[in-house]
Amino acid sequence: MLRNVLLKTLRDQRRALMWWSIGIAAMVLFTVPFYPSLRDQAESLNKYMEEMPEALRAIFIGQVEDITSPEGFLNSQIFVFMAPLLFSILAVGAGARAIAGEERAGTLDLLLSTPVPRRRVVVHTFAAMVVAVFVVGLVLWGSLAVSGAIWDVGVPASRTAAAVGTVVLLGLVFGSLALAIGSATGSRGSAIGVAAAVGIAAYLVNSLAPVVDLFDDLKVVSPFNYYGLPLARGFDVADAVVLVSASLVLLAAAVVGFEGRDLAVR
Amino acid sequence: MIAVENLTKRYGLARGVEDLTFHVAPGEVFGYLGPNGAGKTTTIRTALDFIRPTRGRASVFGLDSRKASVEIHRRTGYLPGELRLYERMTAEDHLSYLAELRGGVDRRAIADLAERLDLDLSRKIGALSHGNRQKLGLVQALMHRPELAVLDEPTQGLDPLVQQEFYRLVEEIREEGKTVFLSSHVLPEVERVCDRVGIIREGRLVAVEHVADLKAKAVRKIEIRFAEPVPASAFADVAGLSDVRVHDSVVRCSVTGEMDALVKAAARFHVERLVAEEPSLEDIFLSYYGEEPADTSPSEGDGS
Repeated sequence: MLRNVLLKTLRDQRRALMWWSIGIAAMVLFTVPFYPSLRDQAESLNKYMEEMPEALRAIFIGQVEDITSPEGFLNSQIFVFMAPLLFSILAVGAGARAIAGEERAGTLDLLLSTPVPRRRVVVHTFAAMVVAVFVVGLVLWGSLAVSGAIWDVGVPASRTAAAVGTVVLLGLVFGSLALAIGSATGSRGSAIGVAAAVGIAAYLVNSLAPVVDLFDDLKVVSPFNYYGLPLARGFDVADAVVLVSASLVLLAAAVVGFEGRDLAVR
Repeated sequence: MIAVENLTKRYGLARGVEDLTFHVAPGEVFGYLGPNGAGKTTTIRTALDFIRPTRGRASVFGLDSRKASVEIHRRTGYLPGELRLYERMTAEDHLSYLAELRGGVDRRAIADLAERLDLDLSRKIGALSHGNRQKLGLVQALMHRPELAVLDEPTQGLDPLVQQEFYRLVEEIREEGKTVFLSSHVLPEVERVCDRVGIIREGRLVAVEHVADLKAKAVRKIEIRFAEPVPASAFADVAGLSDVRVHDSVVRCSVTGEMDALVKAAARFHVERLVAEEPSLEDIFLSYYGEEPADTSPSEGDGS
């Protein structure tokens, strides 16, 4: 596990990844068992939903049509809000730790005194972030498949796979943003702060687009616009391409930003 | 081996280095001497491309520090002045990781260095003392037998016995024809292991000297206690002496370079005790500047 920067970074994260996996599985297990009782109250719940203020509904439930259908339930409970939030936090943490975290710890001089080019350190830590987010995505998918079978939710595993895949790609956009900011500035605080601020703004712009006209014009720049309601419509290749491209552009920015600057002294 | 040309690095309000020019020849042990904060680390970090010059350039092995940094790093061993390690790894894992990043290192070389410096490889870094961390830093800097070792304050935190072993290591590296660039703020250390010395103060290079010339210029404070009072005239015209004060049976003075004349003058009387103070860096600067350091009592410099 010490052959290169990628494997060493994953080794450092192994304990954190275990806890993330437990947390994600727990979230699913505290959500899915409520589905049967919710389905039985479908009529009153849908009525309640219709009476909810539009903006509030837009933010927390999104464009879910029927929250008592299996897809609607999982979308509203997991994929509209919780999963993007958690996967973004996971990815941003990894992205901010990558260069800026190592610089803050003071070990970057030692690492770069070996014949490892700066760009390779960036690419390897990016790859470690991708692997970490995919692993936790796999846990989410597995938990959904198992609990869905137990409590008879009835969403095909291929559908949840598509949704999880899209969440992973969305999280990686914000993680890449944190990596880029951290690589260019060496500041972990800035990396996390900027990525969080952009993430929240992007979420609000996209969620409130149906209610606020200005946001409707702006939503093309929000990554959430390419996220949509993944469980309802399956995997959209065009949207996935946009999300992946955004991450790759940010990765390139991270390399350029890191190669062009002085490393901080501690 | 290292060529620094008109190197200037300024950052923010912090002092950098100003217009440095010097060369380090292949096979020599070059000391880079200066007080803390003089710009030693800045010079080293620029040569290794961790920071970029404001003006001027540095080259190592004839390669530009910016364009060929990876090749330079491959052939260099580096001990950072502010050494930080991966706290949660064991010393052994830490060295394996750095060895892997170097494309593999002979394990025996690691074990041999660790044994000579008395470093226990099985311990977690977080549990290591400052001295043991420094040993690990030295092992990783030397384990791949680099053509050039750049060691920033290598003996800080090492106990005297390990320091001696380190000096022997440097001696062996020199015998193998390899180059060592080491920074220090301790004059005796540099005098002991180096062939030539660059002296830096407040970001500027004061002098580059052969150690022998440095020794000739070094001013040492001497105190001699005699069994009976001695006449002041006995020490009035001794070569290399300055600042002579005689009180009854005690003579205090400063000696520049060799002590032969003083010892012979003193030998005419019964000497009870002779104490020689190692010259401080400030005294060395004094001998180059002929100006008085701000924080010591007035004394006469020889103003060369």
